[in-house]
Amino acid sequence: MKKSTAKLTALTLAAMMALAGCGSSGGSTSGSGESASSDQLTDLYTWETQAREVETLNVLNSQNAADSNVITNLVEGLLSTDSEGQLIPALAEDYSTDDNGLTWTFKLREGVKWVDKNGEEKADCTAQDFLTGLEFVMNYHKNASTNISMPQEMITGADEYYEYTKTLSEEEGRALTADEGSKFLEMVGIEAPDDYTVVYHCTSELPYFPTVATYNCLYPASQALIDELGIDGFLACDDTTMWFNGAYLLTSYTPNNEKVLTKNEAYWDTESQRFDTVTIKMIESLDTGFQLYQAGELDRIDLSESNLTTIYNDENNEYHDQLVEKRPDKFSYQFHFNYSKMNEDGTPDDNWNKAIANTAFRQAMYYGLDLTSYYARTNAINPLKCENNFYTMKGLVYTSDGRDYTDLVAEKLGLGESDGETMIRLDADKASELKAQAMEELAAEGVTFPVEIDYYVPANNQTSIDSATVLKQAFSDSLGDDFVTLNIKTYVNNLTAEVVDPQLQSFVVNGWGADYGDPQNFLGQETYGEDGAYYSMNYSNINDATDEELISLYQQFTDLVNTAKAITDDTDARYEAYAEAEAFMIENVLVMPCNYNIAWQLTHVNDYTTKNAAFGIQNYKYVGWETSVDAYTTEQYDEFASGSGNGASAAE
Amino acid sequence: MVKYTIKRLLQSLVTVLIVVTVVFLLMRMLPIENFFTEDQLMKFTEEQKHDALEAAGMLDSMPEQLVRYYGQLLHGDLGESRRIQSGQPVTAVIGQRFTVSMRIGIISLVISLILGVTLGILQARHKDKVVDHLGTAYTIFVNAVPPLVSYSLILVFGALVLDFPATYSTRNPGISSVLPVVCLALASTASYALWTRRYMVDEINKDYIKLARVKGMSSKSIMVKHVLRNAFVPLAQYLPASFLLTIGGSLLVERFFSVPGMGPLLTDAIGKYDTNVVQALVILYAALGILGVFLGDVLMMIIDPRITLADKGGTR
Repeated sequence: MKKSTAKLTALTLAAMMALAGCGSSGGSTSGSGESASSDQLTDLYTWETQAREVETLNVLNSQNAADSNVITNLVEGLLSTDSEGQLIPALAEDYSTDDNGLTWTFKLREGVKWVDKNGEEKADCTAQDFLTGLEFVMNYHKNASTNISMPQEMITGADEYYEYTKTLSEEEGRALTADEGSKFLEMVGIEAPDDYTVVYHCTSELPYFPTVATYNCLYPASQALIDELGIDGFLACDDTTMWFNGAYLLTSYTPNNEKVLTKNEAYWDTESQRFDTVTIKMIESLDTGFQLYQAGELDRIDLSESNLTTIYNDENNEYHDQLVEKRPDKFSYQFHFNYSKMNEDGTPDDNWNKAIANTAFRQAMYYGLDLTSYYARTNAINPLKCENNFYTMKGLVYTSDGRDYTDLVAEKLGLGESDGETMIRLDADKASELKAQAMEELAAEGVTFPVEIDYYVPANNQTSIDSATVLKQAFSDSLGDDFVTLNIKTYVNNLTAEVVDPQLQSFVVNGWGADYGDPQNFLGQETYGEDGAYYSMNYSNINDATDEELISLYQQFTDLVNTAKAITDDTDARYEAYAEAEAFMIENVLVMPCNYNIAWQLTHVNDYTTKNAAFGIQNYKYVGWETSVDAYTTEQYDEFASGSGNGASAAE
Repeated sequence: MVKYTIKRLLQSLVTVLIVVTVVFLLMRMLPIENFFTEDQLMKFTEEQKHDALEAAGMLDSMPEQLVRYYGQLLHGDLGESRRIQSGQPVTAVIGQRFTVSMRIGIISLVISLILGVTLGILQARHKDKVVDHLGTAYTIFVNAVPPLVSYSLILVFGALVLDFPATYSTRNPGISSVLPVVCLALASTASYALWTRRYMVDEINKDYIKLARVKGMSSKSIMVKHVLRNAFVPLAQYLPASFLLTIGGSLLVERFFSVPGMGPLLTDAIGKYDTNVVQALVILYAALGILGVFLGDVLMMIIDPRITLADKGGTR
């Protein structure tokens, strides 16, 4: 068929559809939004995969990154973050503490408005809205126990209030408010001395509390809107019913298709760099996304492994010089060992449990396991960029002189610089010595070699199975088949129910993303004998272990963490102490750092100007983004990464 | 006919009830961890999980939950979506999607019916000639090539060469529906061509056609009045169901072109443990399936008066 004939046929089809009542036609979906006057984009076309469609637009009821990536643009909280993860003002102009973090006072900016979808003013956003928001979160009958854990732990009386609301009937619970004289204000450590001041009373000295203000649980809600919609209506609010005080309004929302965010003219920061519109297209996969990028319908796209290698290996490919590396996502992945593993018949796996309790066995893996080929599964071009040698995510917090906290850990571990060829921590001689030592010590305990390692991946995910196969080969090549054998096992649907609860895994590779900006949020998940330690309770099962030497190491680590936690009057000393604890944990390989996720992309956005915090929900806020009508080149991105030519100053 | 209809209706109600009950029980037999997102599983304390399950009534006994659900159904309440669109009535979640699926589905069905039946007729009339071979090659090609491959080819050709939008847009639904419609029509056109040809060739070889030829009827008259009419009866039986089930959309096509329709809804709802949405969809699809079969029977009876729907002496 000739091109013209094909087009004619297709146009006829289109006409038929229009006649069949397709509805009104509107704006174009093709092409990037281009500025007439500068090389910045005025309209941004970006993407999200369909599996990550928004489930709720209620900021208080969302505990899902896919929701927050949109909502953070629609509703503004107390504080935000910059491109390096540092706190910056949002609705709070200023925040302070006079008692080492026991009480935090946030001074709100005046004149902030709640508006509806059409930009019509509905109410002022005041301190009372933060009281209302926290009451809604902590009320058992309102928010379905979502987002309660940090206020429960950090704000005085919040846990008691939550428990109190549980004792009430649904009708009684839902009738509660945060008004003056309310049970909420009587019980919970939050107050609004005036319309533009919010004071939080913490359960202990919490120097990091302001970072919690970037998270959903401390976001505001207007009682007037709740009264208008009712509790259920407020929970189920959508673009047509919700009120906005953020950088954008959600002017069009079609689930599984696209969302259009339009600049909110009533936003407090009118000087900030914002787009006229941001269109978020829901795509089936990165491959279809790449086709949309080629067609000019997207301004950025992550590349699948196949697209990346195709472009990279062809120097004549039109996108070859536009391949750019993303910044790492906010998760720090670790090998979490199971110290109380069970066999599938429910009996303890003594061989593994004895082996993993042996320090030399763990250290032999730490110094000997070369993960380069495994990293290449994530980053085929620069695999070692994915190398992770820490437990805490880089960029979480900084000392007063601007040093990244993980630099302190690196110093204590004596880690050198990467040579770009091999993993920093590898030491073949040391690994060999430790392997011999482990085999001798464990043989005496009756452990048989090779030690069987059970690693579980989803049965329906070929990518995971392929990665596991690469990992198996890495174990074999690095550690020797006489030492360990990695068994790839599969689960059907749910890792927690099928594998972790019955304690079948030897290890899982899992990433932790921070809730707030303090090393405690990472290291506190691994402590011994503490209920709040997520990984200890659910993955390592260290509290069930019986090996005294191992338990002693964990107790020493826990003491180091608690020592650091108690330092509240000197942030640098606190971080130094946490770094001590983390270095101890890694030296003794209680967990083993694994990788970061660093993908490749084609983009018109300078990622080094976008918000990039390891905590909170601010990272997808389309404010302060430097963009270019022409796609950025590899060379430009290298400059951004090295700091020169960095457009960070454009942010905010 | 009336008696038959009432009987079929009652049977259908029982069938739907059984299907709903089975699906309800199957959903509750999934591990309860599915109730939570990965984030929630990681960050929720045991108390939070317990409280969330209790608030959702998931800790009640199975019979209690089932009776409560039947009670809701009797009041016409299909409940609210839990995660697909949290808090929104299930009817609204389905309502905003089915019109999109149905519109695209019906357009592609009409196109494929016209093209497919026409192609089938031409193939039958020119059996073992070039047209027949070309039609057969098309049918084999469509069935042999995996749908995702053919959809990718259509996407690349349509979007990059012909400049059609690569994804569906609610702001421009006409032009952006072209590629999804072409994909949908591709396979069903081949299917209608295949079956039309087959039924017509069968009829052509029957004795009454030979007799008609001997009696001097024109070839055109034989094809239209006898062959096509009789060949169309078995096809017609499935037409109502095909039309009604366009509501269900196409999982692959709708995902591929980001069409905000019904196609992916059931799998998404199961994956997200959105029980109310799953159950509502099961009721909808079961009811439409049953209605489609019934209407197919009626249509067959209209086309071929020899077929009756009576209980005794009838063919069905």
